[in-house]
Amino acid sequence: MSETRRKVVIVPCSGIGKSYGTVSRVAAYQVTEEDRPDQTQLIPLALLVMGDEESRKIVAESQAITIDGCKLACATQMVQHSGGQVARDFSVLEVFRRYRDFKPQGIAELNEGGEKLADALAKEIDAVVDELSFHEEGAREEGDTHA
Amino acid sequence: MTTFLETTVDKFTFHVDPTCFFNSEGVWVRTEGNRARLGLSDFLQQRSGDIAFVEVKPEGTLLAFGDEFSTIETIKVDIALSSPVSGKVVRVNPTLETAPEAINQDPFGEGWLCEVELSDWVTDQPRLLDAAAYFEKMKLEAEEEVKRE
Repeated sequence: MSETRRKVVIVPCSGIGKSYGTVSRVAAYQVTEEDRPDQTQLIPLALLVMGDEESRKIVAESQAITIDGCKLACATQMVQHSGGQVARDFSVLEVFRRYRDFKPQGIAELNEGGEKLADALAKEIDAVVDELSFHEEGAREEGDTHA
Repeated sequence: MTTFLETTVDKFTFHVDPTCFFNSEGVWVRTEGNRARLGLSDFLQQRSGDIAFVEVKPEGTLLAFGDEFSTIETIKVDIALSSPVSGKVVRVNPTLETAPEAINQDPFGEGWLCEVELSDWVTDQPRLLDAAAYFEKMKLEAEEEVKRE
């Protein structure tokens, strides 16, 4: 019997017209499409806000990493509201405080600082994804042993 | 407990502490004896956005009225703040080292920037706006800003 590995859900900020929102989405695309495509799945915040059943179900059954662009923390709140478990919430502002040289500017297109900040954020998310996947792998192996 | 002056412009609500004086850029000063505490007004912090970094001149720095005493970096802007008083910086808010967001969360309270030993309050005070005057100025600026957006 084969068991499908559950992917880690990534939910970025949907803030349109804000640099921090763009940084969160660029980082989310990098993680889900380039860095960890086999371990992660992107769920757009808008689908959760609209109550999309399939998205809510996926979120409710998975571990989620949220990326918030501002203190309203919509991504984190919507995941919790959808019954999901937030394994780690990232705030773009907090990440920027760790990488002061990467000041993001631009909205449709980020400046170099914004791209570097998104890359730094993506790498931090990659590390959390690896950790979550490692734990899930361990738990599954333990389950197999007891089976 | 202080009752703030309050106004709502569009979707934003702004408070003004009636115990403070203000310079034209929105830096507040609250005196107690020969000392004064300085900080950002609620309007200035909301207009500037989430604060990522704050730097304040170190203790011992002598300030003249209008001297730059602090810089604030947010996602939107970098601002150099002018001192609304003359005197010597005697204390910098230690909270800001680890939690600059205190300025956004509690601009008239925990988010204060520094304390200054006043050297010429008698001369400085008439150059500042009292809370009622600043409140009116702030309302006009907020309304202008909403119209521009």
